Amino acid sequence: MLGSVSTTPKSLDAYRPIIGDERVEEIAGLAQRLRGARVLNVNATAFGGGVAEILGTLVPLLNDVGLNADWQVIKGADEFFHVTKAMHNSLQGMYYDWTPAMRDTWLTYNKLNADLFDEDWDFVVIHDPQPAAVLSFLEERTGQRHGKWIWRCHIDLTDAQVQVWDFLRPHVAVYDGAIFTLPDYVMPDLQGPEVFCVAPAIDPLSPKNADLPRETVDEILSRYGVDPHRPMITQISRFDPWKDPLGVIDVYRAAKREVPELQLVMVASMASDDPEGWDWYERTVRRAGEDFDIHILSNLNGVGNIEVNAFQRAAQVVIQKSVREGFGLVVSEALWKGRPVVAGNVGGIPLQIIHGETGFLVSTNEECVDKVLHLLQHEQEAAEMGRRGVEFVRDRFLTTRYLRDYLEIFLHLAEGTPARAAVSGRPTEAQGTVRP
Amino acid sequence: MYGTPALTHRALDDLIEHAGQDAIDELRRLARPIEGLRVLNLSVTGFGTGTAELLNSSVPLMNDLGLEAQWQVVRASEEDLSVTQDMYRALGGVYVNWTQEMTDRWLRYAQMNAELLTEPFDVIVVHDPQPLALRSFTEDGSARWLAHSHLDLSTAQEDVWLLLRQHLEKYDAIAFDARGFTREDLPVPVRIIPPAIDPNSARNMPLPDDVVHNVLEQYGIDPARPMICQVSPCDPACDLMGVVECWQAAQRRHPGLQLAVVLTTDPFDPAGRSCYEDLARVAHDEPDMTLVSSGMEFGNVELNVFQRAAAIVLQKGLRKGYGLWVADALWKERPCIVAASPGLQEQVVDGESGLVIHSTDECAAAIVRLLDNPDEARALGKKGREHVAKKFLITRYLRDYMHVLTDLHGKK
Repeated sequence: MLGSVSTTPKSLDAYRPIIGDERVEEIAGLAQRLRGARVLNVNATAFGGGVAEILGTLVPLLNDVGLNADWQVIKGADEFFHVTKAMHNSLQGMYYDWTPAMRDTWLTYNKLNADLFDEDWDFVVIHDPQPAAVLSFLEERTGQRHGKWIWRCHIDLTDAQVQVWDFLRPHVAVYDGAIFTLPDYVMPDLQGPEVFCVAPAIDPLSPKNADLPRETVDEILSRYGVDPHRPMITQISRFDPWKDPLGVIDVYRAAKREVPELQLVMVASMASDDPEGWDWYERTVRRAGEDFDIHILSNLNGVGNIEVNAFQRAAQVVIQKSVREGFGLVVSEALWKGRPVVAGNVGGIPLQIIHGETGFLVSTNEECVDKVLHLLQHEQEAAEMGRRGVEFVRDRFLTTRYLRDYLEIFLHLAEGTPARAAVSGRPTEAQGTVRP
Repeated sequence: MYGTPALTHRALDDLIEHAGQDAIDELRRLARPIEGLRVLNLSVTGFGTGTAELLNSSVPLMNDLGLEAQWQVVRASEEDLSVTQDMYRALGGVYVNWTQEMTDRWLRYAQMNAELLTEPFDVIVVHDPQPLALRSFTEDGSARWLAHSHLDLSTAQEDVWLLLRQHLEKYDAIAFDARGFTREDLPVPVRIIPPAIDPNSARNMPLPDDVVHNVLEQYGIDPARPMICQVSPCDPACDLMGVVECWQAAQRRHPGLQLAVVLTTDPFDPAGRSCYEDLARVAHDEPDMTLVSSGMEFGNVELNVFQRAAAIVLQKGLRKGYGLWVADALWKERPCIVAASPGLQEQVVDGESGLVIHSTDECAAAIVRLLDNPDEARALGKKGREHVAKKFLITRYLRDYMHVLTDLHGKK
């Protein structure tokens, strides 16, 4: 048995006021056909990162709708996690010297985890590359396969270092299904598994997204030195070149010339083991200089879900000035709070923003300044965009849609019924839409 | 020049409602003779530690008092980090095989950082033991040097302590958080400056009941049933399994009792990871136990909610460090049950502002006793807040610092 992760119980019924009866009944209907099915999710870590966040919602919801779901993490020592970090980064396009020793370490720990695998499941979802070879070792040991096995890839493999992907590919080719985040991320040379696309989603009932009273929002702002009575724009992201924190400050400065009362809140989500993040933090602080209307905060100083929630809610405009992005789910978080978003036209962002309807897609600082100013100066239009954003996210990017996609995929693999997330023979942009 | 963390705006006048006008006036009076004093605070990190949190509040307030206070963070490379972490562990009493090569690397790190010290300061406060040797590589200038150790050095590993001691000799004084953290063989005068809480931080701000209830439910906690809460690093030394045992024992008397464990660190090292796994396994089978970690972006407001909602706040088995979360909880008038460790006993006077326990059995009995006697629990919480108001508000910390800085400055 691998390491168990505990999750907070959730109930589908609690989402009824948000998504309506029809969607709830649809999910309940799918779940009925899977009643009692045993589902195991396996990933490398119980904390931090988008995968852990998604599993923290998905697993309890699967249980609530009548399946028997569990979440376990693989075992490994530091040497294994060093290798998986290198593997992860190289699959996202960074160059690593992928040595035979690293391959051996990865295989050894996958085998060890396969040996710890001692239960039968109807569906096993293996997340990301770290534990991907568990299936091949398990089949090698037992000579058989129980249930349907799905490899869930959360990362963008399109710039993957070829030798690492070539090494990984045979281990994922034996799966029954493979789920990618975006149609663009599907690897054309992955033959074998049936391919699905499931975009990530936000949980409207989590502390980061749930409603907060206006007074509490204002009070939280004040505690961090932000004046709730003056306009504020915000970006919540890691500090690295791809999120362009320096560009955000430049945009704010240009906008402030027209709107002198403007404030900027930047929340850096930092990892303590990421030296590059520190460098960018310092560069950002230096760029901010002596302007005390720029507030640079960090998760490591206790700025958590509820603070982020408050800053997003209070912002006149939310910025996500990415020059490169995975899915950029933070955009949906902001849209869900009724805020118009001005964001880089990269990665999954254009799936979340309809240009001119729920926000603006921009490619340069000038465009960004222009749109931010436009929204600051046209409150009515900004409010309407915000309202449309809420509806757009309600349709496509809530955790209940994510749950529905998984249920459909399970049924598709087990019984051959149609799944909207299946890639073949369907328009790719349709994923995440609600059946009419 | 070192790295500079971004500071949050803080104003002394905002503290009047908590500390009283007199305390603020006194601070201004104490600060007047040292107006313009250039004070550099040096630490190893700008984030995620009690020291960082305190500096984040105290440095802007010192500036509001008219000093020219700065906070900078020393530089380190990855190899330095492993040495300084080993040093930190050894000084905390965990055995480390300390080699000559580690000494050499530590000194190189200090030398490199000493070269980065370019601006003139009147007083330099070194907040962590790791960069202490910087002093040995700087010219004797006009600056006074204060070491402020936030670590309990009483059980430090001998060889590492002796190394540190050599470099401490050139300091003007050393400050500790608690009397119990000091040693006999200190080469310089000793001051005690306990840490303090900022009543205006998001962690301590008042919150409406409905927000508290909603957040609890988002974490799967039933607001209608009592909950006990422990905040700790994910570290085997914190005896978190002992916390679970006490709770399970108390549950036999109070079947609806819930437990929330908040981990303030992500378990990076193997010991921490196995500590987490043990907890997760229990939590997995116990619907009334909630386990959260800072890695889940659990922030100040959430901690505030958990503390406010707790029937009892526990701090069991914290061997090292001060455990200042207890002062945060006392400020919210929560009854606290704490282990008998030096930092915790400064905050909780047994039977007066909380209960001090020495074993798991005692702890379980104390939980039951407070649940059975809500009047006693309420009285302890009330006293607790008074105790914090007197001893652990940031205004008291600033006052201690004004005295120390005045003394050091006068030695010129």
